[in-house]
Amino acid sequence: MAEREEWEPKILAFCCNWCSYAGADAAGLERRQVPPTIRVIRVMCSGRIDPAFVLMGLLEGADAVLVTGCHIGDCHYVDANYKTRNRYEFLNEFVDELGLEPERLWLRWISASEGSLFAEMVREVTEKIKRIGPSPLRSEWKK
Amino acid sequence: MEEVKAKMNSKYYLAWAKDEGIRKKGANGGFVTATLVSALENDFIDVALVVRKKSVYEGIPVLTSDAEVVKECAGSLHGAPINLTKYVVEHAAKKRIGLPTKPCDARGIIEQAKRRQVSLENVFMIGLNCGATLHPLRMREIASYYALDPDSVVREEIKEGKIFLVSEEEGEEKEKWMKIDELEAKGYGRRDACKSCITKIPTMADLACGIWGSNDEKKTFVEVCSEKGGAIFENAVDSGYVEIEEAPEKGIETRQKKEAGMQKRAASWKEKMDEVSGLSRSERFEFYVDALKNCIHCGACKAVCPVCACEEDAKCLEMNDERDSYAISMYNVLRIFHLMDSCIHCGQCEDVCPVDIPLTLIQRRFSERMQHRLRYTPGMDVMEKPPLYETELRWSAKAE
Ligand SMILES: Cc1cc2nc3c(=O)[nH]c(=O)nc-3n(C[C@H](O)[C@H](O)[C@H](O)COP(=O)(O)OP(=O)(O)OC[C@H]3O[C@@H](n4cnc5c(N)ncnc54)[C@H](O)[C@@H]3O)c2cc1C
Ligand code: SF4
Ligand code: SF4
Ligand code: SF4
Ligand code: FES
Repeated sequence: MAEREEWEPKILAFCCNWCSYAGADAAGLERRQVPPTIRVIRVMCSGRIDPAFVLMGLLEGADAVLVTGCHIGDCHYVDANYKTRNRYEFLNEFVDELGLEPERLWLRWISASEGSLFAEMVREVTEKIKRIGPSPLRSEWKK
Repeated sequence: MEEVKAKMNSKYYLAWAKDEGIRKKGANGGFVTATLVSALENDFIDVALVVRKKSVYEGIPVLTSDAEVVKECAGSLHGAPINLTKYVVEHAAKKRIGLPTKPCDARGIIEQAKRRQVSLENVFMIGLNCGATLHPLRMREIASYYALDPDSVVREEIKEGKIFLVSEEEGEEKEKWMKIDELEAKGYGRRDACKSCITKIPTMADLACGIWGSNDEKKTFVEVCSEKGGAIFENAVDSGYVEIEEAPEKGIETRQKKEAGMQKRAASWKEKMDEVSGLSRSERFEFYVDALKNCIHCGACKAVCPVCACEEDAKCLEMNDERDSYAISMYNVLRIFHLMDSCIHCGQCEDVCPVDIPLTLIQRRFSERMQHRLRYTPGMDVMEKPPLYETELRWSAKAE
């Protein structure tokens, strides 16, 4: 089981340029501990996150995918994060029906000044994923 | 004229073709055929889309402006599980089309109209009640089970819950029948999609026609469902193609009861056929991966799907690369995901799948729970946009 202890989840995070990406930056500037489990993909707005990207992330073997964006009402492109929220609900039902654990998909609103929240989220997700183990899609892919 | 107009203010009628030939050839009163002919001759439509019988196992869609061809195609084909949606999409841009629609045809056309592939102004949907279609291969099996030579079967009929087959061998006609319930208990019978289909009366079409509620096999029960439907109906009566009488009160009731009974049976079939429902989360995952791994990416399920409006540049095709070797391909994942709000559970995809993936069940499992949550039924109302395209969540708008 030693191998299992060494296992570090791979977590994919889509971050909006104007908020959560800057939030991730802030976490770094503030020298907060962010677990190295996260891989960030910057997008110009959470509305740019096609559900297909999330699904592909899961198929590629990500142990969890985080969708992040500006707080509702703060989106720089008027209402695009409402669409994000709508799509997330579809993704949620999809992931659940497919038989993946609901913890493999997250939606969080994080502003540019919320560096601590960003770090906390990554810790929380990492912990949860460590508990449930690698994605079954990943092990399938590795075979 | 006056008198007829005064008569046409009800919603329910018994109607039949005045022309004896049409009436005789029609499945019931030949009303659908007579109305299409009248719509052609009186310039409501440019073409009719009807289904020509090649054999009891094959019907081919024909687009025609020739009234004689429409007349030849009267009658119901239960062994031709085609969906007419894509033929309408192909032609309705340039022509006004009139056609018979089973509920799944009408719902497909409405979904295409939502996606701006057709304008409903150009389409006259004469709805047919629908108990079921059968896969041609299953129909042949029934013939063998009846001890008839499948190749000699010349006629089929579904009546009072029984499937009748008539064969002609050495100049001799043989008729055999059995109750559908008994056949299905033995594993023969209707398509899985039809067994669990709950849209039995196509009120989303312009007219809804059937035998339920009629007191005479040669009179079609007709419900007027839209202004457009009322207009072609009235025209068929006014121009002398169709005769009508008001539907008896009791008939309206019987029809509702028949529908409710079918819906109840459909619900219990759905439960019975859902082999995923008892599985645990990880077993469910394994089921889906296992079922979909056989896909050869022929694209047939997408090509026939009546609600999909994407063409060659579809995301599910563009983002698919078999070299990825994912547990489930992007093609399948995206098709399932994109249809969660819009799948009408017609089973066309499963019918054409060359490797027999249980697509009806899979698409239904994913989409039904989403549609239930959205309180949304696709294919009913052209004004209701597909929720995946919406900005606001239907449920959160209510909750907040
Ligand atoms: C598969 C099927 C199942 C049905 N089940 C029921 C039922 O359970 N209860 C009920 O009340 N009524 C049912 N009907 C409707 C009924 O059989 C008659 O079609 C209806 O009463 C109209 O009769 P008619 O004589 O006016 O139509 P007709 O004048 O005979 O015209 C029927 C038209 O339907 C077209 N058609 C034939 N087969 C198909 C097909 N598979 N798909 C699309 N179009 C087709 C023909 O080309 C023709 O144009 C069903 C019809 C079909 C096709
Ligand atoms: S899916 Fe429903 S409407 Fe379509 S052929 Fe089957 S029973 Fe008829
Ligand atoms: S996915 Fe299959 S069952 Fe659903 S609408 Fe398309 S063809 Fe019909
Ligand atoms: S029809 Fe079957 S084999 Fe062909 S692409 Fe669809 S699921 Fe795959
Ligand atoms: S700009 Fe940040 S979510 Fe739209």
